[in-house]
Amino acid sequence: MTDSEREQQLAEAFADLLDRKATETIPAELAADWNALAEIDRAVDPAALPEKLSGHRIVAEIGSGGMGRVLLAIDQALGRKVAIKTLAPRYADDAQLQARFMGEARALARVSHPHIVRIYNLGPPGEPPHFVMEYLEGAPLTRAAAALTFPQRAELMRKVVLAADFLHAQGIIHRDLKPGNILVGPDLEPKLLDFGLALDLGARERLSKIGEVAGTPEYFSPEQLEGGHLDARSDVFTLGSILYEVLSGAPAFGGGRDLPRRIRQEDPPLPRRIDPSIPKDLQNICLKALEKSPAHRYASAREMADDLRRYLADEPVLAEPAAYSRLIAGQVSDHLRDLKSWRHDQIVSEAEYDALRKRYERLVEREDAWIMEVRRLTLPQVTLYFGAWMLAVGAALLTFFPFPKLTGAPAVMVAWGAAVPTAWMGVRTWRSGYYRVAIAYLLAFCLVAPVAALVTLEETHIATALTQGQPRLELFHRLEFAKEATNAQLWWSIAAGLPVCWWFRRFTRAPVFSLMFAAMSALLALATLLRLGVLDCLDRDSGRFYLDLIPCAVLFMAAGFTFERLRMPDDSRYFYPFAVAFTLAALSGVATYQEPLANWLKAVAPWTRGQIEYLFILNAGIYFVLDRMCDRFESSQVRMVGKSFRFVIPGHVMTSLLLLGLAANSVAEQRIDEWLLPAVACVFVFASIPRQMKNFLVSGLVFLAIGVYRVQQEIFPSRAWWPVLLLVAGLGLMLAAANYAALRVAVGRVWNRR
Amino acid sequence: MESPTSTFALLEQAQAGDREALSRAFEKYQRRLAVLIHFKLSERTRTFAEVDDILQETLLRAFRDIGHFSYQAPGSFLRWLSAIADHVIVDRVRYEGRERRAGEEIPFRSESNPGGPEPADSKTPSRLLAQREAVERLLSRLASLPEDYRNAILMAKIEGLSTAEMADRVGKSREAVALLVYRAVKRFRALSEADR
Repeated sequence: MTDSEREQQLAEAFADLLDRKATETIPAELAADWNALAEIDRAVDPAALPEKLSGHRIVAEIGSGGMGRVLLAIDQALGRKVAIKTLAPRYADDAQLQARFMGEARALARVSHPHIVRIYNLGPPGEPPHFVMEYLEGAPLTRAAAALTFPQRAELMRKVVLAADFLHAQGIIHRDLKPGNILVGPDLEPKLLDFGLALDLGARERLSKIGEVAGTPEYFSPEQLEGGHLDARSDVFTLGSILYEVLSGAPAFGGGRDLPRRIRQEDPPLPRRIDPSIPKDLQNICLKALEKSPAHRYASAREMADDLRRYLADEPVLAEPAAYSRLIAGQVSDHLRDLKSWRHDQIVSEAEYDALRKRYERLVEREDAWIMEVRRLTLPQVTLYFGAWMLAVGAALLTFFPFPKLTGAPAVMVAWGAAVPTAWMGVRTWRSGYYRVAIAYLLAFCLVAPVAALVTLEETHIATALTQGQPRLELFHRLEFAKEATNAQLWWSIAAGLPVCWWFRRFTRAPVFSLMFAAMSALLALATLLRLGVLDCLDRDSGRFYLDLIPCAVLFMAAGFTFERLRMPDDSRYFYPFAVAFTLAALSGVATYQEPLANWLKAVAPWTRGQIEYLFILNAGIYFVLDRMCDRFESSQVRMVGKSFRFVIPGHVMTSLLLLGLAANSVAEQRIDEWLLPAVACVFVFASIPRQMKNFLVSGLVFLAIGVYRVQQEIFPSRAWWPVLLLVAGLGLMLAAANYAALRVAVGRVWNRR
Repeated sequence: MESPTSTFALLEQAQAGDREALSRAFEKYQRRLAVLIHFKLSERTRTFAEVDDILQETLLRAFRDIGHFSYQAPGSFLRWLSAIADHVIVDRVRYEGRERRAGEEIPFRSESNPGGPEPADSKTPSRLLAQREAVERLLSRLASLPEDYRNAILMAKIEGLSTAEMADRVGKSREAVALLVYRAVKRFRALSEADR
């Protein structure tokens, strides 16, 4: 064989080796050449698997990412599989990064949680940086979820969320949660696997260094993309993103280069649009976690887990995502624009426009979830109210009635024994976020606290001085079976309740405590009257009592106005109704019982003989003036006050006219009143037009019928032409109304000709 | 059995839209590709920065065109990348002096653009080649080989072509190619031994 033949033969053999046709044995003559080439592979290929790490034999690569690889290894001492996470060789020269990698692995090793992968040991100093973890078999979260029912998915997610919450409690923000890093075992237990280098232990610069090459922006939170301050709520967003994918099977924000903008600005499509079988509650939880502003998300992963638990327990979830109102708001503004143009074109009436606008605005208005909860009558909610009410009633019994076996210190203890725990529970449940329960407790306390205060004052004999030294001026002394608490004690106990309500209002921001505050102020006003000896009036001159209510009305009006001026419209709105109620009660009471007023009227207009009915008509005049005064204000609340005064005018006037007619002294007077009633009714019917007062129209029509009947009975008995006249008039009016426009033109012409 | 990180599996994921998978597949081959580009470039244009740029742009085009790629055999991905790199180099020459278009269509991932594809490495491929002693040695040895020997080794070992494919490409018989490769390897080995 010639050298060239020999060379050709070797070349063929080598070519076969290269073409992988003969891999079993390398001929001895070619071994050195082959090894020289193998050097090339070592130089240009990513690092091959190491033989051993931490004494464990490396078997295979399980996964690899930007930051490093995860290898499968066998722990031969214990005969089990382990996973080993290594840092990518390209970071081999970065001592700082390596130190952090190991430091974070060390921090992680201290974390022990059933749903977080366990770390067995860290790589010893001589070896490439790595750490040894528990080896898990299972499917990535989203793939596992696809085969599960929604409750099962919710349960899985609840465990994941709780694991994240556990990390947060250790001061660790995960920052790189993703479905691929959550493995679901055959027992349906999820495990958080990869912490990458995403752990935040306070080092900011790491993000700038690694964030560029690592991380999965699909699940990043908006603040993470913006490089803003991160807290647990950033992970909540990511968990929401994962829940979205677990529910709908699609990533919330898709992918592509537009992804960061979508995460920052756009709401994801509603999961139920993707899959209508997704339960609404889970959609709500998901969207609440995906709120752009951290302040609107769940405050912690724990809260999110609680809502998932509520879903699983068939309780209503608290989440009421703002995304819905945004979704609607976009449409509503269009609808409102249409509405406005319809009004402009007078397609809809002013009133219809107003009603529709209010409805729409109601739809968009964001209400805290717990307020909806409080309004929804569920068994627990009703039971809560029921219990609170029983508590208040029990406390009231304790105050009013003497119990021979429960006096002195024990009585005080019982009263406060009921009051203090309610307050404590209220504040505690509020702080832990169970607002609907807290409100019930706090409201109960508002009712029970004054009662307990009163019992205390009674039993400790404080403020026992009688009003003007006379027992007959004491409210409780007049009630036969009641305890003998003094007016002063009553006043002080109510006064003690006021700051409590005020504080609760500030603490909870719930307007219901404003109502409570206003109501208690009203009680205090009445107690003040008691202390001023108003009971005296009951004996001598009952009209005086009602006269005394007028300052109360003025006071409440002023209070409402002041609060409104102080930009507390939610507080002021409860004072006005009390002011109106006081005014109506005072004026009606004065008209009914105040003799000097009747005497004055008799003196001024003897023909009235000082009758109550005239006084009521006088009141109607006062209401009219008040209405006009209120209408001068900008404030819608004051205008509402005016409207409520306006509301009672027709009733006052026409009822009085009817009664006057019935009780007339002379035939002439009777005739006047009988004709006056239908005439005034007609006036009211048409007076309904300028301000759209429906009650003017309705009461006018009703009293018109009554007036017509009275005229028929008293003036035209058995005269057929009267009803016939009405028929003709009715028909004529209807025809006129139907041809209103033509008629108007015709009348206009006649008018102009003149 | 296919491991989840085999090139084939990664490319399947990449074609289903998973950019990270493509990044990872690319990462496997980037050093080989860098060596190929290094020798595709003429002495004059061969700067580390240039290799880096071409590597990055090759990756960008790969991201853009991954839908057109079809996997036929081990190595076809690198061959596809190598072909892209050829186009990139041709375009470079054509657009010489004009404004660079790199990164215009799909900007790389960065803090301001986290949705972009991952750059081949946070360190430049040039540094990638430079930072390892073994690679530097390899480059200098290959550079000192005669051109036909060097190309033979690049095709056989870096690009991973079979001898039949190499024969097709250079228009010679398989026997001739086998001999060429064998001689090239012998020379290469001699250079290696001389270094020691």
